[in-house]
Amino acid sequence: MSDGERKRRFDALFATYSSDIVAYCGWRSATASDAQDAVAEVFLTAWRRLDELPGGEAARVWLYATARKVIANQRRSNRRRKALEDRLTLEAAVPRPPDPEETLVHEALRRLGSADREVLLLAEWEGLSPAQIASVLGCLPVTARGRLHRARRRFRTVFEELSRVANELPVRHPRAAVEGGS
Amino acid sequence: MNTSRSFEALRRSNPRAKAGFAESVEAAAAAIQARVAAGAGVSDPQTSFPRRRLIGVVAATLLAVAAAVAALSTIGSPGTEDATAAVKRAATVTAASAERSGTAVVRITHNGELWAGTTIRWHGADLAVRSDAPQRRGRAGSWLLVVDGILYGVEPGRGWVVLGKPENIDPGSGTTPDEYLASVREDVGGVTLRRTTGGMTGLQKRSLDDGSTVYSGTVAAGLIAREAGLKGGQPIRVLPFGNVAHDEAADPSAPLQAAVTVGADNVIREIAVTWGSNASAWAYTVTYSGLGATAAPIAPANARPLRERWP
Repeated sequence: MSDGERKRRFDALFATYSSDIVAYCGWRSATASDAQDAVAEVFLTAWRRLDELPGGEAARVWLYATARKVIANQRRSNRRRKALEDRLTLEAAVPRPPDPEETLVHEALRRLGSADREVLLLAEWEGLSPAQIASVLGCLPVTARGRLHRARRRFRTVFEELSRVANELPVRHPRAAVEGGS
Repeated sequence: MNTSRSFEALRRSNPRAKAGFAESVEAAAAAIQARVAAGAGVSDPQTSFPRRRLIGVVAATLLAVAAAVAALSTIGSPGTEDATAAVKRAATVTAASAERSGTAVVRITHNGELWAGTTIRWHGADLAVRSDAPQRRGRAGSWLLVVDGILYGVEPGRGWVVLGKPENIDPGSGTTPDEYLASVREDVGGVTLRRTTGGMTGLQKRSLDDGSTVYSGTVAAGLIAREAGLKGGQPIRVLPFGNVAHDEAADPSAPLQAAVTVGADNVIREIAVTWGSNASAWAYTVTYSGLGATAAPIAPANARPLRERWP
């Protein structure tokens, strides 16, 4: 592949999938700067391995799988911040949920196990099929389908329970206490 | 409950729908495309550079590259770039760069005299906040340091003291260190920067000899001094980095004069806000430096446990 062809292919790849990878790294990474590192690393890896990259939709799955590995490496090499990462992973995606419904969603996601959360968001936020999720996670499609089914069920249960409690108690945004000066 | 409601709510929470997402993609696109286009050794998989350092270097250079791309993109089309778009882009680049580390020097003057000053250095979740204020209330030179989630302070006559986890400490001021530090992180993370520059109107552009550009205009005080609180039982509004907003700046609807200095590399160097009259003139400036390149603060080796105060 000539340099010009490489550049054109990379441009097309980036134009098509950069928003997906930015979004994915956003909710998977502990901080915005980690997400930025991860996005850069994913596409730099893609640039280096452009000749090996599959075409079409498979390239998208390849990018997700690479991003997953990059973020896993980040976490391993960043053990000092591990506890903080766990606490902040969802906050990093959307720092301040602006409405009660979103607060419920994030709390429900936080209460899921990390494996449930990952498979659920790959399906619901990234729009991947069970077969594509299996490729990203490195498992059999039937396994991915089973995990997704269980994650959906757990999310629905937790969300419904939180909604029920929220309807019984007024939702109080933590910011209100500060802004109220109490 | 309708089963689909939970999943509809989940899909509505997709980060793609959030404000600023398009800007994140845009910034990443410009930076990475330029990095790859430039080559710069990226295609060499046999590099001896340590992996982590490579990632760090990439992260550190991405925004510089983005800034360079942004700067270069205006060379061929002078005058075609809208000032609002230029400030917005500079805020995006600066905020992203500031996310990792940086230094902000905050100064407030009243009638030309230094009223308050703070220097904030941050690196990841670690922070060093030093009061540079004149000798008001004996606080000049005081430090607040957070390293690895532990808060350190300086006690007069005792030196460094381990204060513990920020969230567990309430100094009785109405704002815990954890809340204060959260607001500092918000300020340095670009939220305040984007809100301030995004709210500027009537922008005028002025070029400086060093290649910098100053964008001046007005901004509602409420966009600058957004936080409300209580001090001495009186409602106050708080400027970014924790200073009290006086006079007009305490009225959210008051128009304040603002000037944003953007370097030739498209990174914001300074934000200056002024208000008041000759009888009571205020100036508030935040000067940024070392974005993406400020070293992490180090925990003081000689810090003593707080409990030693009550043996």
